[in-house]
Amino acid sequence: MDTLVRLTDVSKSYDSDGAPALAHVTMDVGHGESLAVMGPSGSGKSTLLNLIAGLDRPTRGEITVGGERVDTLSETGLARFRRRQVGMIFQFFNLLDDMTVLDNVLLPAQLAGMPTARARARADELLTALRIGSHRNAYPARLSGGERQRVAIARALVNRPALLLADEPTGALDTATGEEIGELLLDLNSSGQTLILVTHNPDLAARYARRVIEIVDGRVASDAAQPSRTTGARR
Amino acid sequence: MRAIPAVRAARGGLSGRRVQAMVIGLVLLVSTAASTLALGLLVDSNSPFDKAFAAQRGSEVTATVRATTAQLAATAHLPGVTAAAGPFPETTITANVPVTPPPGHPAAVATVPLAVVGRPSAGGPVDDLTLESGHWPAQPDQIVLNNIRLPGEAIGTQITVTGVPGSPHLTIVGFATSITQTAQAWVLPSEVAALRAPGAPDVSQMLYRFSSAATGSEISADVASVRAALPHGAVLGAESYLVVKLEDTSSIAPWVPFIVAFGVIGLVMSALIVANVVSGAVVAGTRRIGVLKSIGFSPGQVVASYVIQVAVPAFVGCVIGVAAGNLLAVPLLGQTAQVYGVGALAVPVWVDAAVPLAMLGLAGVAAVLLALRAGRMSAVAAIATGRAPRPKHGYAAHRVLGRGPWVRLPRSVTIGLAGPFARPTRTAITLAAILFGGVAVTFGAGLGTSLNRVYNDLSHSAAEPVQVYIPGAPGQNGGPGNSVSVKAAPGSGPGPAVPSLAAQEQAVTAALRAQPGTLHYVAESDDNIRVLGLSDHVSLIGFGGDASWTGYALISGHWYAGGDQADVNTAFLTDTGAKVGAGYTLTSGNRHTTIQVAGEIFDPSGGQAEIIASQSTLAALDPGLSPDQYDVALTPGTSAQAYADALGAKLGQPYQATANGSSSSQFFVIIGLVATLTLLLVAVAGLGVLNTVVLQTRERVHDLGVFKAVGMTPRQTIAMVVCSVAGIGLVAGLIAIPAGIAVHNYVLPVMGHAAQTDVPPSVLNVYHPWEVVLLALAGLAIAVVGALLPAGWAARTRTAFALRAE
Repeated sequence: MDTLVRLTDVSKSYDSDGAPALAHVTMDVGHGESLAVMGPSGSGKSTLLNLIAGLDRPTRGEITVGGERVDTLSETGLARFRRRQVGMIFQFFNLLDDMTVLDNVLLPAQLAGMPTARARARADELLTALRIGSHRNAYPARLSGGERQRVAIARALVNRPALLLADEPTGALDTATGEEIGELLLDLNSSGQTLILVTHNPDLAARYARRVIEIVDGRVASDAAQPSRTTGARR
Repeated sequence: MRAIPAVRAARGGLSGRRVQAMVIGLVLLVSTAASTLALGLLVDSNSPFDKAFAAQRGSEVTATVRATTAQLAATAHLPGVTAAAGPFPETTITANVPVTPPPGHPAAVATVPLAVVGRPSAGGPVDDLTLESGHWPAQPDQIVLNNIRLPGEAIGTQITVTGVPGSPHLTIVGFATSITQTAQAWVLPSEVAALRAPGAPDVSQMLYRFSSAATGSEISADVASVRAALPHGAVLGAESYLVVKLEDTSSIAPWVPFIVAFGVIGLVMSALIVANVVSGAVVAGTRRIGVLKSIGFSPGQVVASYVIQVAVPAFVGCVIGVAAGNLLAVPLLGQTAQVYGVGALAVPVWVDAAVPLAMLGLAGVAAVLLALRAGRMSAVAAIATGRAPRPKHGYAAHRVLGRGPWVRLPRSVTIGLAGPFARPTRTAITLAAILFGGVAVTFGAGLGTSLNRVYNDLSHSAAEPVQVYIPGAPGQNGGPGNSVSVKAAPGSGPGPAVPSLAAQEQAVTAALRAQPGTLHYVAESDDNIRVLGLSDHVSLIGFGGDASWTGYALISGHWYAGGDQADVNTAFLTDTGAKVGAGYTLTSGNRHTTIQVAGEIFDPSGGQAEIIASQSTLAALDPGLSPDQYDVALTPGTSAQAYADALGAKLGQPYQATANGSSSSQFFVIIGLVATLTLLLVAVAGLGVLNTVVLQTRERVHDLGVFKAVGMTPRQTIAMVVCSVAGIGLVAGLIAIPAGIAVHNYVLPVMGHAAQTDVPPSVLNVYHPWEVVLLALAGLAIAVVGALLPAGWAARTRTAFALRAE
């Protein structure tokens, strides 16, 4: 399997005299893989995701995504990297409340300069596939949690990124809705989307990831492949 | 209510929101400084003579006396005398002052009569002089002159006193201003005796201030009491400050309206911006208010905590702002004092107290009202509102700007343009601040152009760039119009005998015809006469030919066309009641003539009535009227100075050819003042924009993180932030144009009326279409410049940090 993401001895400290948020992390993620990053609260899971996405910079070490050295990019380079290579899904959705569902989904494509017609077509395709096409002109405040997360997923996929990063994607959802979203992510991975998923929920990790990395106190405590995934009831 | 928890909470809030505290402090600093300046200007412009008179402890009565020192000292203790200075020895001298001659001309001196007083220092309990430059005499051969200068006078110039034994030489070491012009020059007291001509009386000057000196009759009573206290005939003369005030007020009055206009704009802008920044700070703290309530703070404690949190940086800003305003006032009020000619102006002490109190009060009221509103919310509601402030407005704007014909614009631009609609009140305040800044720019630009045209119109420097002065008929005092006579310096060679008037005219006209570069010329005659029915002299200007090109701007009517037609200034029409297009009969002595008033010209002439006509028309009233100069227009591309030098060299003495320079130091001071005031208001407007953008970016920092997370580059972030105010700036700039032009068209006539003249259309109609386009962009420029700094901060904000923000 080709390597899509490579971290080499990556550390991140926020305070010069405090414990590092991440320490000497080395790992690879291949194309099409689904990886769950687990650990207790404050272990460094979200930090790891932010570093891979280029939302933050490591204190030391190298990070390569799709052959590109993320840790050496300028702010402009990181923004362009995120447009091309990365789609992000957040626990609390991070949608823009004063824009419609369609405008939220279109945003990354418009920032990347995609022609309007092509961007609209891609957005419509995603909204339909995620079964929220009827809400295209609604505002996020009017949607349920599950619908909002679908909008966030559509936004994350509009530029066809190589890598999908999800930080506690079901953390703000009820169990049933969370399972729906989980199945959605599973489907995406099944069709070849590389997925890195951060969760503190071992059931979620077991169901939707083929490999689990455990982070404890900023270090990789374990890195193991999962047995064959349990396919949950699919809609 | 227990205060300590509120204080602790406020301290925590201040240390946790340092940027906000700094912005409040900075805005209060600049607004207080601007308001101190603006109010100081307004107050000083309300009877500036009175302000300067009080500041200098002006002399209410300046008496020339002859009595013993003891007798004069005793008058200081008369009932009603509140302060006295003197006796200072006094005399009048005639001094030769070197003047800079035209090239090719021999060295020349100006013979200047001066009233000289001997004083040990510039200061004193009465008539505290303002030393404008240089220093007070430190030794007997030094002199300080009144600040009204003649050409050639400069520090270091040596003047020679004539008519006294030894012809003493005095070196000019400084220039000073006395608000009541108690003397034209000052020396050390011991020097006066050496400057008195043989036989001149040994007199002294006494300066008095009285408890009652507001009117002429009170002054007369005060002088009578001094006379009664001294031997008979001891008081040789006594001048009242009211006479000087009358002259000064008429020269000050024209400048007051535009300074008042700038002052009012500055005050309004400052108030708007303070209200905006404080309200934004409290709104930004809504979540914290909810947290405080959830841990047990009462609404009163919450409000107190927030008022303290706003008041501390506001107080610091106000204190520094007052100091900064006073520091800035030194050059600005110095310029204003020069414009007003009053020596010195200062920010009144009560302004230094009132402005910070008003600013703090405004900040406090805004903080209390908004904190009360938040304090009344439930804790949960406040936390929810503050964590994720949902804009109630702006949805439609985002929708519209996301579609439509502007979809071709970059997305970051359209997002920015939709931003202002989320907070209409804040947008309106920001628009108002930029609008006022734009009005200041439009008004200032127009005012500068108008004043430039006024000076050109009054100096005629464009129309008649060269003037040739002739000695004129016998008995006339030829030369550039002043009471000082200029002649060849002693020892520079024998001066020529003065030819007859006809010979003078023949020589000059022949030289003008032969001189390359001559386009037009005309003989001009000037005189003042008394006319029945008018209390003041009437100025006559007679031309010996076509003078329609000489640059007099017409307010109404047309240039006189010979016969009995004449043009007059506004003062003539006001004093006589005459009308343009009608006749008016003038009687002087046993001569009278009827003129047909063809037009009203723009020539205030210090409020003196003036008639311009052909010399033959005016000769009926003033047979002695004869040419004393030639006004010359040049062909395009001819250098006025080179022409004047060549012509002067050809003509030689006793003629004088000069380039009619349009420069006037007072003009540059006024233009400098207009520019300074305009820049100050633009800076305040820019600060208002900066504050708005800082508030916006801090409120929407989480959204900023989302934008960056989905791929917005730093440049796109800057574009978005700048565009969030650029639209407002453009709209404000467009509105500012007609508003600024309206202010200009209102203030200029008011200034004219204060100078006792109407204003010609050429001085009012100063805005060219291309200028209007540029000025319309002023609002946009203010908005963009004000937004650049916080836009840069937004671009540099780390994405992960922004996403964590709530």
